[in-house]
Amino acid sequence: MISDEAYKELEEAVGVDNVSRHPAVLDSYAFQPFENHESMPWCPRPVAVALPSTTQEVSEVIKACNRHNLKHKAFSTGWGLWCGPTTDDVVQIDLRRMNRIVEIDEKNMFAVIEPYVCGAQLQAEAMKVGLNTHIIGAGPNCSPLASATSMHGVGHDSIYMSYSARNVLGLEWVMPTGEVTRLGAPGSGKGWFCGDGPGPSLRGTMRGYTGALGGMGVFTRVALKLYNWPGPPEIESTGTVVDVMSEVPDCLRIFGCFFPDKDRLADAYYDIGEAEIGYNCLKVATPAFMMILAPHLFKKLKGTENLRRLLGGTLGQMFLIILAGISREDLDHQVDVLKAIVDEHLGFVLDAKNIPTLGSNLAMNFIRATMPALVFRIGGSFSTALGRNDSLDTQLAWGEAIAEIKRGYAKKEMIIDDMGDNPYFVPYENNTWAHCEVVYPYDHRSEKHLAGSSAINMDFIINAIESCMEPMFGVVPSARKVLSPLTSNFNRWQRKLSEALDPDQTSDKGFYTDEAEFDFTNVPPERVERLQKLVEDLTWTELGPPE
Amino acid sequence: MQTKSTDPKVFRRAVGPENVSTEESELEHFRTAGLSSRGEPAAVVRPQGTAQLREVILLARETATNLVFTSSAPPRFRGDTVPAGEGIIVDLSGMDRILRIDRRNKVAYIEPGVTFNNLIERADEAGLKVLMPLLPRKSKSVLACFLEREPIIIPKYHWDMTDPLLCTEMVFGSGDLFRTGTAGSPGGIDRQLKAGLAHKNPLGPGATDFLRIVQGSQGTLAGVTWATIKLEAKPTVHKIYFACDDRLERLVAFTYRALRPRLGDEWLILGARSLATIIAESPGSIDELARRQAPWTLVYGVSGYRYYPEERLAVQENELARIAQAVGVRPVPEVPSCPAKKMEEILAGPSPYPYYKTVPRGAFADVAFLTTLDKAGAMVEVMSTACDAHGYPPSELGIYIQPIQQGRTAHVEFTVYYDPADEADRARACELVEAASWELDEAGAFFSRPYGSLSRIAFRNCPDSVEALRKVKQVMDPDNVLNRGKLCFGEEVV
Repeated sequence: MISDEAYKELEEAVGVDNVSRHPAVLDSYAFQPFENHESMPWCPRPVAVALPSTTQEVSEVIKACNRHNLKHKAFSTGWGLWCGPTTDDVVQIDLRRMNRIVEIDEKNMFAVIEPYVCGAQLQAEAMKVGLNTHIIGAGPNCSPLASATSMHGVGHDSIYMSYSARNVLGLEWVMPTGEVTRLGAPGSGKGWFCGDGPGPSLRGTMRGYTGALGGMGVFTRVALKLYNWPGPPEIESTGTVVDVMSEVPDCLRIFGCFFPDKDRLADAYYDIGEAEIGYNCLKVATPAFMMILAPHLFKKLKGTENLRRLLGGTLGQMFLIILAGISREDLDHQVDVLKAIVDEHLGFVLDAKNIPTLGSNLAMNFIRATMPALVFRIGGSFSTALGRNDSLDTQLAWGEAIAEIKRGYAKKEMIIDDMGDNPYFVPYENNTWAHCEVVYPYDHRSEKHLAGSSAINMDFIINAIESCMEPMFGVVPSARKVLSPLTSNFNRWQRKLSEALDPDQTSDKGFYTDEAEFDFTNVPPERVERLQKLVEDLTWTELGPPE
Repeated sequence: MQTKSTDPKVFRRAVGPENVSTEESELEHFRTAGLSSRGEPAAVVRPQGTAQLREVILLARETATNLVFTSSAPPRFRGDTVPAGEGIIVDLSGMDRILRIDRRNKVAYIEPGVTFNNLIERADEAGLKVLMPLLPRKSKSVLACFLEREPIIIPKYHWDMTDPLLCTEMVFGSGDLFRTGTAGSPGGIDRQLKAGLAHKNPLGPGATDFLRIVQGSQGTLAGVTWATIKLEAKPTVHKIYFACDDRLERLVAFTYRALRPRLGDEWLILGARSLATIIAESPGSIDELARRQAPWTLVYGVSGYRYYPEERLAVQENELARIAQAVGVRPVPEVPSCPAKKMEEILAGPSPYPYYKTVPRGAFADVAFLTTLDKAGAMVEVMSTACDAHGYPPSELGIYIQPIQQGRTAHVEFTVYYDPADEADRARACELVEAASWELDEAGAFFSRPYGSLSRIAFRNCPDSVEALRKVKQVMDPDNVLNRGKLCFGEEVV
């Protein structure tokens, strides 16, 4: 409950039309089914929602919350359980009115944006001046500010446009106390060209590999790197989001590259990286295409053994790559290099130029990353196995290990059978490191699937620890509690920083520093024992990890 | 915490008596550096590993001793290793192993005492190249260099400000051990290597990035005991070009258009004096060489790699030639007294001894800051005006402009040369640097890694950051035992 007095202060902060405590409105924030493995997919209902339109208003909302012992939690474009409150007495700060592209600096290749600017919006504006923006795999509907400051940040374009956290050139941050600060050069009034300094970089307190997921104030502006776009200011397209046909610009070539096995695929990846070609690159499972685009057909065909062998085996080790050239000569060179590498590693290329309709469909779907969200279609929900990103080899191995785990669960019908493989594998920064997560779809209405989710997630965590990875869903309080002692006691330090910068702990810390016990209800006892053994073996002492 | 008089004997317990020195011949290197004021080093302590470093820090907490880290050998110029008052020098230069080079993942595992020459040699054997800053001094620690966010000369490989530093092991001022990036993943390093990790991911662990916090902290928050460093593939063909101009704007325009699609490898702009200082083979020839150069010279490299190297080289050369023509710049294969091959060799390694900046007059002082390339010209004007005002000929000023973050940011470095034996000359340099720094600050210069008195200028602009940084310092170094009084952690700042 929120007191009338507190509610009135929120009204004063943002205007009466921009605050609500109506249960129906609040429930629209509390219904968070994605990555919510409860049978009733709700999170705690916020006590109120406030929609500020300026940084100053955000500050006033937070100060009002603090005066009344209410917590706050930011929400921008929202994609899952972590966007909602994790506890009672939380005011949800919905940032959708802060939707301005403040500046695009063409020359210095960056944009300053507010939280509710989405990837597609920024991309459209950037392309007009020959630039492009990194769009995360979750899609162009997501807020680039949110992924850069608060969540993860991998995308199909990471080969050329990196990881969201590494694209920050400056930040405006309403601290949990309500004070406004700016990091880096903008903090010294010098412009938005560098996010670090003077001296130690406070960017390191803002986020690490993951963000604080609303646990450390509210980010109201960010300067993000933009990247070269050699294509036209607009791409002529017809159709709707996924079923789109676009005029493929002359500066782009799209290839599917298929290899006989994982090792050859890996070697090709490494060589492509050293050749410094590629604008957009994604390893996808061929069955996944059919699953997301034609789920009904997929369900009917997936039992066909020959099809499984063809898609998961013969065509299983493949990636799709888009080359972008600044001239014909440049593009031709990149094509020559790609073909030479694929040849050397006994692969073959499928050139979209020879199948114009396919290329026409893939171009914008990949450059704008529109397809991944379709994975919801087959079962209504999905989850994903995330291991810590590092070398390409580790990520490919992770993909295989998780596929194997999935097959067991699919056989027992505890998740939807997607033919066992569904990696979202993306190389970063000229293939010098990589990301792999393995998606599994499930039906949220099925008790069996929900039970399967807990068990399979435990297997993922165990596999991650055995592979010396910090599972990226260490943002979950129960996983954090187990992992922190194995990984530099990171949460102890995170908590100390949180207490230093948020002395009254007014931000919702559920996905940032809180810890909780695992619910082992649906986990086989031997898996629980395995986890406990790993924890026992790998817990840090004051001298570091057991070597 | 109250500063106590430091008894060096205490640290024998941690590192053994043979690794504690109070010899004046060693201490003198930490009394002054460049224009910085006098410090009072009481001893040099040399830990031989992480465990000993941890013991040293814990003892410092017990005894309220100020510890100042160093990992490069002398000479030193910036003053970050000169204690503010009394202090014990913690010398990590003896930890100098290259622990591993991973060719496939292009990464080196190094301790703090590894210098560029060692690393270049080992990387070269593996077919890799080290991402070089411009002519670091021979004795400079690679790890310290990148902890200080020293810019590298190939902008396309500078994706973010932490590059090329990746994962680290560090000991906080609290004495706690921490590993960053994927080095902080479960298991020890051997186990992680067996699992295939290459320690390429610099972020985390978790939702905090202690590497980023510790970078640029001048040893005020933690000591770093090893790190992984990003290397890159050695080109199979490589050429250097020059573009000379009397107008900086044209070279800036060329740079913007070239770096946007990541053309070129090495990419830096030098004023005539800096160029002459770099290429001169004797001190006496610098003046004449400087007179023979254009006011501005852009140096850039182009490369071909394993697949179709000549074709790639040709593509790069042609694209750059087209851009050059469009902006009115003419690339040439040599400048007076420096053919491309010579410059290629210069850029590939550290400075010869003596350090190149000391060659013209015996000593120097740098004013280095960040801005954007389009503002570099205005900054040069400000600096030239300040030179005029202090009777320092602008033509004798060293100027180096380095695009970083793939061209989004520019590191600008002015070098004032002076004769350390001439008190008046030294005083003039000191006054010029001080006055110019204030004026540059007014003009928009961002002093992102301020040394010595520059801290006052840098931190006065961001009192809220100072407040936050002091809280971070309290968390990581609760007894204030690490490099007291530096950056914004002294009482006089802000």
